[in-house]
Amino acid sequence: MRNLLQFIGKNIHLLLFIALEVVAFLLITHNVAYPRSTTLSAANRIVAGMNEAGDNIVEYFRLRKDNEQLNNEVCLLREQIQLLENQIEKQNEYGLVCDTAQYEYAHLGYRIIPAKVVDITTGQEHNYLTLNKGTRDGLKQGMGVVCGNNVVGVVSRVNEYFALVVPIIHTNINISARVKKNGQLGFTHWEGHNPRYVNLMEIGRHIMVEKGDSVITSGMTATFPEGMMIGIMDKVKLNEGGNYYDIRLRLCTDFRRLRYVQVLNYVYSTELNQLTDEQYD
Amino acid sequence: MNSTIKHILRFVCLLALQLLLINNLHWLGAFHPYVYVLALLMLPASMPRWVEMFIGAAIGLLMDACCTTAGVHMAACVAVAYLRPLLLGQFVQDTQRIVTQVCTATVGARPFLLTVATLIVVHHALICFLEAWSLEHFGWLLLTTLISSAVTFVLAFLYDRTQQ
Repeated sequence: MRNLLQFIGKNIHLLLFIALEVVAFLLITHNVAYPRSTTLSAANRIVAGMNEAGDNIVEYFRLRKDNEQLNNEVCLLREQIQLLENQIEKQNEYGLVCDTAQYEYAHLGYRIIPAKVVDITTGQEHNYLTLNKGTRDGLKQGMGVVCGNNVVGVVSRVNEYFALVVPIIHTNINISARVKKNGQLGFTHWEGHNPRYVNLMEIGRHIMVEKGDSVITSGMTATFPEGMMIGIMDKVKLNEGGNYYDIRLRLCTDFRRLRYVQVLNYVYSTELNQLTDEQYD
Repeated sequence: MNSTIKHILRFVCLLALQLLLINNLHWLGAFHPYVYVLALLMLPASMPRWVEMFIGAAIGLLMDACCTTAGVHMAACVAVAYLRPLLLGQFVQDTQRIVTQVCTATVGARPFLLTVATLIVVHHALICFLEAWSLEHFGWLLLTTLISSAVTFVLAFLYDRTQQ
């Protein structure tokens, strides 16, 4: 016993060091893939509040870029209004026959919740975004996040005031994707390093694809409606022995300049889940 | 007492610099200098080692919360806090005499710069590798570590100049 106490007394600093490192490693192993709670993350109310305060100062320096982005979106919306107006006009002219294909998008049943990015990391392998909206604004785990027509990521953790989003540039997330021109399905995978590019996996070698092809969301999950832009093919390589292409996509979303995003709330998610749950019961 | 306030003030300033400015600059998308570690490196050498380690753990946890990295900064900061007295002891005879802060003016240029350089590399390497949690991109992680460390070291050197 005395020897033990002596040993502890002699090595007290080493033991304390080991104890603290063990705590740190437990935290890492528990949280490295996906954060288990929002307490120890940037969605923590104090940290997110701090970031928001800092953001309010820096915001003024980015007004020009933000305006440009908003302007682009306004133009897009005007175009759509024009399209719909023409449609109504035609309807009035030719009677009550209605081309419902034009309204498909609205029938998909997504509500849009606008949010602001208060914190973002792009240089890590496990990147995160923090949004200034939480459960009280209707955000839930698993909702898709987009910026205009471009895919950003998926809501991972929510507390009352803030939400943590796993972006497409996170090594553990795959987003179901589709080659726009021929409908081929695949999924995205981020290798790390560069927040501008992701890889597109499992496009078989018999399929014709080339540089410049657009890749969109597949619509196979309720997270995103079909047709949101993911990226443009930037490098297409076919390995001698491989079954699949090596495809690199240039992301449409510029994560370094991401400021305002929209969270997609699929209105029928309860019904959908109910159905899939029934199937597995 | 005066010195305590100075250390706290320095930490707050470095934290603000880190979170508001450096984390928002994108150094070619890859290089991440963590200047906040300087607050830990410049603590007085006369401080009890267990206090130093707890301060390291607290600073690390705070940074983890800010960067959503859960434990990575804590592990790195605790390692730095543990190694610092050992390293300083190699260069300086009587560390207990340094009660204000560790800098060129108090411990001499060579011991200070060597200690700081070593610990910055250790700190940055731990953060890079633990955050990635795999050795898949070993070369890249090493490069990131070295360049980030170099940037932090230059900033530390310049800051030290102002402490004369």
